[in-house]
Formats: sequence, structure tokens, C-alpha cells
Amino acid sequence: MVPVDSPFYRYHPVTRLALLVFLSVTPLFVDMPEINLGLILAALVLLRWGRVRMQQIRRYLPLLATVALFMFGVAFLAPGDRARLAPFRLAGLTFYFQPMWWAFVSYCRLVAMLFGAILYFSTNRERDTLVALRSLRIPFAVSYVAALSLRSAGMFMEDFRTIREAEQARGLDLESMSVGEKAKLYTMYTVPLFAVALRRADEISNALFARGYTLSGRPAGGGPRTDYLRRRYPVERRDWTLSAGLAAMFVVAIVLGKVMGVFSDQLSPLHGVALRAIGLR
Amino acid sequence: MNPAVEVDRFSWTYPLAASPAVCDITLTIPAGEFTLIAGPNESGKTTLAMAIKGLIPHSFPGRQAGVVRVFGEEVRRKEAAILAKQVGYVFSDPEAQFTSLTVEEEILFGLENIGVPESEIAHRIRHASELTMISDLLDKPPYDISGGQKQRVAIASVLAMDPEILILDEPTSMVDPLGKDLIVGICAELRRRRRLTLIVIEHNLEAFAALADRVILIRAGRIERAAPPREFFEDPEVLERSGVYPPQVTQVFARLRAHGLYRGALPLTDEEGIRAGDALLRGAGA
Amino acid sequence: MTLVRVEDATFSYPDGTRALDGVTLEIARGEFVALIGQNGSGKTTLSKCLAGLLRPTRGRVVVDGIDTASKGVTRNLVRRIGYVFQNPDHQLFNARVYDEIGYGPRNLGVPEAERDAIIREVAAVTGLHPDLFGEHPFFLSKGLRQRVAIAATLATRPQVIVVDEPTTGQDYRQSIDVMDFLVRLRVERGHTIVIVTHEMPIVAAYAERVVALRGGRILMDGAAREVFSRPDVLAETFVKPPQVTRLAHAWGRNGVRSDALTVDELVDALRAALAARDGPAAGRLEAGAGHPPRGAGDV
Repeated sequence: MVPVDSPFYRYHPVTRLALLVFLSVTPLFVDMPEINLGLILAALVLLRWGRVRMQQIRRYLPLLATVALFMFGVAFLAPGDRARLAPFRLAGLTFYFQPMWWAFVSYCRLVAMLFGAILYFSTNRERDTLVALRSLRIPFAVSYVAALSLRSAGMFMEDFRTIREAEQARGLDLESMSVGEKAKLYTMYTVPLFAVALRRADEISNALFARGYTLSGRPAGGGPRTDYLRRRYPVERRDWTLSAGLAAMFVVAIVLGKVMGVFSDQLSPLHGVALRAIGLR
Repeated sequence: MNPAVEVDRFSWTYPLAASPAVCDITLTIPAGEFTLIAGPNESGKTTLAMAIKGLIPHSFPGRQAGVVRVFGEEVRRKEAAILAKQVGYVFSDPEAQFTSLTVEEEILFGLENIGVPESEIAHRIRHASELTMISDLLDKPPYDISGGQKQRVAIASVLAMDPEILILDEPTSMVDPLGKDLIVGICAELRRRRRLTLIVIEHNLEAFAALADRVILIRAGRIERAAPPREFFEDPEVLERSGVYPPQVTQVFARLRAHGLYRGALPLTDEEGIRAGDALLRGAGA
Repeated sequence: MTLVRVEDATFSYPDGTRALDGVTLEIARGEFVALIGQNGSGKTTLSKCLAGLLRPTRGRVVVDGIDTASKGVTRNLVRRIGYVFQNPDHQLFNARVYDEIGYGPRNLGVPEAERDAIIREVAAVTGLHPDLFGEHPFFLSKGLRQRVAIAATLATRPQVIVVDEPTTGQDYRQSIDVMDFLVRLRVERGHTIVIVTHEMPIVAAYAERVVALRGGRILMDGAAREVFSRPDVLAETFVKPPQVTRLAHAWGRNGVRSDALTVDELVDALRAALAARDGPAAGRLEAGAGHPPRGAGDV
């Protein structure tokens, strides 16, 4: 999942988390597709630099294609009040400019956010995220429960797969079912998943008790929790510089974007290009 | 010196249960002994073990009669943190015990919970992982290691907390044969070092019989038999009727004895069995 | 008559690991087969491929003429081969035992009256009293849950029944009960049984044929007696023969027949060896001591 060795590992998890925030949250405040496309490019470059196996990214292509189909499809089929929109013809079909453009803008935004997340999860193990949260002084109980949920999620994926096989073993032919029937099935999964979850919750709470865990996370005998792992992640000067830089860029982006409207899609050069291409300028 | 465990006329009834899970049990386990607890499922073995650990009554509601004491103090009056330090408990499901995101963190978790100073942590992790042969797995996440390995991580996590009593509740039942052997080896090593009081609940008696100082049979909430292994397995047929499967070698020689063909002590292990059989077959007298 | 044919089956996970690597075997009607091998040897993957729950990424599995990889064959497969999972919780989908047993037939479109008859019959076979029909499976004991799972699997009337770890976590009595039950299914109702397990005394006492796997390949495939007589090969997949077999091997040099699989067989072999040495009078042997039939209770 994550590369064996990566230049990213030289940076503290909080810095890497700051990168995630910048790459994934900035697009929310940016409409101009060029900027978002630039962020996507930056993420791709960083993925290469981080020695992530690009094959792994291929896994996300079906998702990207599906989302594109959905968004552009909706823009095509349900453009809104046609009277106020500018139509154009392409391949014998009538499209409406504004909804299609807006779908494009939104799509770029979404993909930018997605690639920020992909970059993060391809270069950070769960442990790194945990250390980042703990370094940010999030209470131990919160970060521990988050980690435990992650761990449980993993276990549930396994169980889910087994339950699907068990369903098949009872004659449930998932392939020949319609989407509607499959959706109804999902409620059926809850019975065994709940059974497994309840039993496991029981066992896990026993295991936690046996390890002396108290809800607060504070050790017996008082005092702060040692947090041994955090010691292993030294904070270097480059972490301060980079985190500060990213935080600053983030704030600037929000100010320019939302407050001053610099990143409005109407100002986008591509917008002009598109309008000219379909003969509306 | 106080015995490690004193169970004094202890009964425990779970809520909504018609009858007690454990009924009027009295048992003393001296410090440093290896006790093997056998018996059919749902006979009260786990209830007894949990009462020694303190899960009962701290985590489970129910009605208690009698007393359980660990090193002279009543379990129900001790704090969870003290119990964690004194009594380690390994459960049978390797999956449900691995709550952290890497092996090292898993071992670390208990240490931080009981407030072990930072200077000692590295040493304890190293020591525990060496004993359980998982030193090369420290960086691995749970989904990258097998059930047997997870179970050894569980043992390491508990050992690192340096308890005086270690309870293993069916540690090998969900583990593959190779993993089983490794766990038995760890128990043998722990017994050799003699610094822990070891309590193991198991169905797989063949592996543990010879290691134990004493074997206890619990059935329907009561102790039916408690004796050193050689004495305990004296009549394997009775044991089978009580729902316990003695080592096959012991069964074989008990039957030979019943046919008047063998008069020696009943062997418990492969080696003892081979020697006894060789002697018998070479006509060296039964 | 071959019921299940595995033809050079390979199964690879998306990340590339090969759980099965070119496995070929045939299972005939009425056999009792045990799949053994260490963790990761492919025995569970193979068992799921047999039942069509997993499809080989190369090669194929044919059950009673049906290729498990074909589209839409699930219902047909389920009528021929059933699978009981190790953890009953994974396969109990309904709030009442009665509905659970009827779940398979319901998926197959069996009408209600016939379904009711099947449920009652199968419950009787698995020893589930009708009083239990209204119970919620979650609250039953582990042994009962397993029986409900088995009953539910039998309800689609498969010929072949695959059971994953029938005795793990069970005590002696429970293990005997479930194994004797599987034997009865075979002997009295003609089913073919395949078990996946790592408990060798059980394998030795109940399975006629043993298939040992290692690294996704078949290491050994033969009669139980044959397979357990090769402990050196079994060691490659970290499996040891049961203690009685190990002892019999060690005593082979003393004239003991070395293929004992159960306590009874080893005792008989020893008595025979002693009698041969000392003459029949010396051992107080009863006449006609031979190997009693394996199965019912003598593990």
C-alpha cells in the first residue's frame, strides 16, 4: 500500500497532514478549474516523487469515470430552466452550456480533493495519522477510538466478504439481481454483521480491560501518558517551515478565493475558450 | 508468602441464569505453579479464570458468593490497573485482542496504560518479543500477520506488562498447528524460568499435560478432580466420560494396563510413550 | 462417479498472491475427504472454490457437470454442494431458526408448504427440536448455532457438503457429535463430505481420503493411512500425524504395524506384536482381535 521507502517519511506526520488539508480542502474554495487542475498535477507529481507505485492509482480510475458520467449525465439530462440557458449542439445532441460548465468546474474540484486524499493515504500508514493526531494534542481517547475504529473497519471488511460468500452459499445469486434487489439485500447483511460486531465488541472490551485501559487513557498512578511512539518522530526545522508555508498558502487561498473572488470560474481563461469553441462569444 | 491464587467457596451466577456458572469452588494455587484447567465447554472454566483476572466482577454483572484472592487481596476490591499489572490474560481469539495498528504499538499499549516509565519501555518490548519470537514483526499491521502470530503478539503484550500471574484461555484453539507448537514452546520456556504463575485452559491436553504441575477438571461448575498430571490421567476412560480427551499415548497404555499387559506409570508425552513401548516390546518387563 | 472436478485451478488475489497454484483433483460420490495444510496453504481457498464461492482465476471447477464460473449458476450449485462456514455468526441471517433453515429453499423459490416439510425434516436430521424454531440464532450456544448452520446448508439438499473447521473450539464430546453426524450423513443418506481442518486425530479417525496442500499446490492426495505414513512430507506443510501414528512409527522397528490411526488400532497393534513375541497365551488376547471399524466415537 505505502511505498517501502519514500522521501515523505522524512517529514513529520503533522506536516503530511497539513499537506492533505491544503490539497484537499483548498479546492472547496476554488472554482477556477485551472487552479484545481494545477492541484491535481501537483498531487500527481508528488506521488511520483514519493515513489508511490502509479499502478495503485489505476484502481481509482473506475471511480473517476463513474463520477464523471454521473455529473455530466445529470447536467445533460437535468439542466434546469432551459429558457435561461445557452444551448449548443454537439454530435447531434443538445447540451446547455452553463450546467455543463458547472459540472466541469465541480468535477475538477472533486478530483482535486480526491487526489489530495489519494496522495495522503498512499504515503501514510494508519500509524502516521495516529501520531499526527496525537501531536496535535487531540485527547488520547479520541485518537485511540479513531484507531480502533480503523482496525475494526478492517476486520469488518473481512467479515463482510465472508458474509457475502455465505449468502451465495444459500443460493443468493448476486449477479443476476437487479440494483433494486441488491439494495434490499444490504439490510440483510446487517444481521450477521451486527452479530459479529456485538460479539467482537464484547471481546475487545475484555481485551482492553485486561491491558489496564481506562477510558481517559491516563495511566495508572496518574501523570501524562508516555506516548512512546511520538518520540520516534522527531520534528525538524523543515517541518516547521513546510507546515507554516502550507498553512499560510491555505489561508491566502481562502481569502483570495472566497473573500476576494479571485478564483471565480467566470474569470477562468478556460471559460472564455469554451464559450468561443461553442460559438457563444 | 501468600499463595498466588486463593479461591474460597466461590460461586458466580450470571444475570438471568437459572443456575450458577461456578458453584462453590475452593482452590489454592501456589506461586510459580503451572496449572492446567480442562473440562467440557461451558463448564465454568472461563468464568473461574475471569474471576481470578478480575473481569469478574469488574466487567461482568452477576451474583457472587465466596471470595477470590490474588496474593492475599480480594480481587473484587482491587483496581483494574493493579489487576492489569498483576494478572495477565490472553483470550482465545487472536483477532479480537489486536486493537492497535502495529505489533509494536500493541505491545506498547498495555505498558503505557500501566504507566511504565519511558526508559524501560524499549527493553520490555524487546524482551517480550524475543521470548515470543515476534521481533521481526514489530512494524507490521494486524492484517499482515497470521492468527498464530497475532496470538503470540497477544502473549508478548501481556508478558511485557510483567505480571505475576498469566492466564491463557484456550490460547491454541484458533491457531494453526505450527502456531500451536510455538505457543506450547513459549509456555514451556515460561515454566522453565519459573517466575510466573501460569494458568492455562485447554482442550488440547496432549501438548500441555507434561508441562503442568497440576491438572484440574472442571465440570458443571465444580472441580471434579485436581491432581498432578500423572495422577490426574490415571483412568483415562473416566476422564473421557467427563468430557476430557487425555493424550492418546496415555489412553493407549491405560488400555494395555487394563489388559494386564503393562504395569508401569502412564506416559504423558511422545518420548515417554516411545520409551515405555520400547521397553515393553523388548520384553524388559511391564 | 466423479462429482467434483478441479481442473488445474489457480486462484490469485487482486494483489497478486496465489492462494491456489494449479490444483487438479477429483472427488467421487460418497467420499469423505479432509483438506489439510498450514495456514496459507490454500486449503480454505480450495474448499471455497469447490463450492463455487470463489472462482478460479485460471482453470476451472466443475460440480456435477456445472462450471462454477458460469453466469447464473448459483442456484444450481447450491442444490449440489453446500458450505458450512467456521464461524456460524457469518451465516445466520434471520431472526428465527425456522426462517434461517428455510432461507436457502426460499432463495431457490421453493413453495411454502414444501419448504416447511424440508425444514422439519432437516431439523430432525440435525437434532434440532421444533421448540427451537422460534429462537433467535444469536442467543443459542455455539454448538447449537453450528447445528442450525448445518441444517440451513442441508436444506437446499446438496449432495456434497463442505465444512470449514467442524471441530475448532469444540470440546471432546461436541467434536465427536459433529463428526459422527457427518459420518451418519454419509453412511445413511449418501452424502459426500469434505472437511477443512487442522485437527489430525479427527482426520485420522474419520477421513478416508486426505489431501494435503502446501503453497497452493497439492502435496499429497491419498488414503488417510498412506498420507499419515509419510510424516516427512507432511512436515513440509507443518502437519504432524496424530500421536498414535507417531508412536506406531517409532515402534515399527519393534515389529509393530506402523499404520495405526486411532487409539484402538494402536492398542490392537501392540497386543498383536506382544502376542507374536510371547505367544497367544501370554497376552490374554481375546480371539479375533482385528481393527474395529472406524468412526463412531473412537478417536
